Amino acid sequence: MSFRHDIESLSGQNVNLCFQCSKCSAGCPLADKMDLKPAQVMHHIRLSHEEAVLNSTAIWLCLGCETCSARCPQQVEPAAAMNAARVIALRKGIKPAVKEIGIYYRGFVDNMRLNGKIHDASVAGITQLLSGQLIASLPLAWKLLARGRVKPPPLPFGGGGFRKLYNAALEKEKT
Amino acid sequence: MKYGYYPGCSLEGISAEYDESIRALFTHLNITIEDLPDWICCGTLAAPSLSRLLGLATPLWNVARAKQAGYDQLITPCSACLYHFKHAAKQVAEDPALRTNVETILELPLNSPPPTIHPLEFLIADSFESRVKQSVQRDLSDLKVVCYYGCHISRPASVMQFDDPENPQSMDRLMSWVGVQVMDWSRKVDCCGAHYSLIKPDIVVDLCTPLFESAMEAGADAIVVACPMCHANLDTRQETIAAKLGVPVKIPVLYFSQVLGYAMGLSSHALGLKRHIVDPLPLMLTKCMQAQKEIKELRN
Repeated sequence: MSFRHDIESLSGQNVNLCFQCSKCSAGCPLADKMDLKPAQVMHHIRLSHEEAVLNSTAIWLCLGCETCSARCPQQVEPAAAMNAARVIALRKGIKPAVKEIGIYYRGFVDNMRLNGKIHDASVAGITQLLSGQLIASLPLAWKLLARGRVKPPPLPFGGGGFRKLYNAALEKEKT
Repeated sequence: MKYGYYPGCSLEGISAEYDESIRALFTHLNITIEDLPDWICCGTLAAPSLSRLLGLATPLWNVARAKQAGYDQLITPCSACLYHFKHAAKQVAEDPALRTNVETILELPLNSPPPTIHPLEFLIADSFESRVKQSVQRDLSDLKVVCYYGCHISRPASVMQFDDPENPQSMDRLMSWVGVQVMDWSRKVDCCGAHYSLIKPDIVVDLCTPLFESAMEAGADAIVVACPMCHANLDTRQETIAAKLGVPVKIPVLYFSQVLGYAMGLSSHALGLKRHIVDPLPLMLTKCMQAQKEIKELRN
């Protein structure tokens, strides 16, 4: 199967419907920070340019605001295609082109495995520690703590249900 | 009707005041909501970025459990959680083979699950209009707000099927029911940067700066939101934004549930109004008192 087919089967999208009007690029709030703009990502996917897509910052910078999907005149969801590209990149062991976001997603799921839900302050703390931003964020953390918006972390005994889902889903994905 | 309630992770931490105000408001309106037992995180963008099946199974586990618990609707105040519920439900509804796979992982059936619904959508139903209007006890007619909907309350329309994705009106209407002045502006559905607050705060500042410029241009005293991430980003980044713009920025950011509750006479403690970084209490008190003073003067 080609790269395009992989993206299509993982995202449920027909990328060949894209006629490059670039409304997705025009509406994307992060387009100015991406190396490839959303419409360019879509075109690379159509041509199965795997390396260009999987190594781009675009697929990691996409924060799923869905402006592209909402405005696409062809009812394609570029955000879903970006998501599929992230799955394939991680499967192939390609390091996320935006390091901090890779750290955040990994830390988020690891935190879910402890308790089924996340403890927001732990995810924030670990992400910021590993991406070297912890000290800069301490003043804000203190203000939030003083207002009762930072809760103590729960004991890690509640994640059994989620761990089961996690193992079953990853096992099934392999087959 | 039996209503389930899925608070989501943010409402147990950084957005405790959203949870408090929703519960206080629903109690005040005599609507019983029951917490979904043993709920798990919706997985947000992290789980689907790791595996498609995990990204579907995680939110749908909650939906399947809501069906088991016998709820007619699952009220979900976080619009990101709500989006992931609805998006996952849509994907399995369109693809029977995918649904079977997810059901095997969940060990739960996914037939006719209860709809997940934002409290905004719940309260905007016509049946509540007179009830909300009649419950007003504080006059907030002097308070000018802009309503900020952010990404997922109505976008994309194919998934959310609520309100207008480019120019939503539901929150504006709800605010006008309790007598608040709603100002029109053009940034209702712009993105605030969501979880980038934790990863790349510079991007959040870049995305939020125009929101404050436009809110000030519209003459708003406060920004009203309906999503915990919008609130966290707008409430916590104002000092940096002020430095960037070179003008003072101090605009309280309130949840719609806090404004409704305050108008209905609930205490600031019950609504969590003391938890904000930009303290909204001075504004609420002056706006409310001014209105009261004017009424007194008119009466004399």
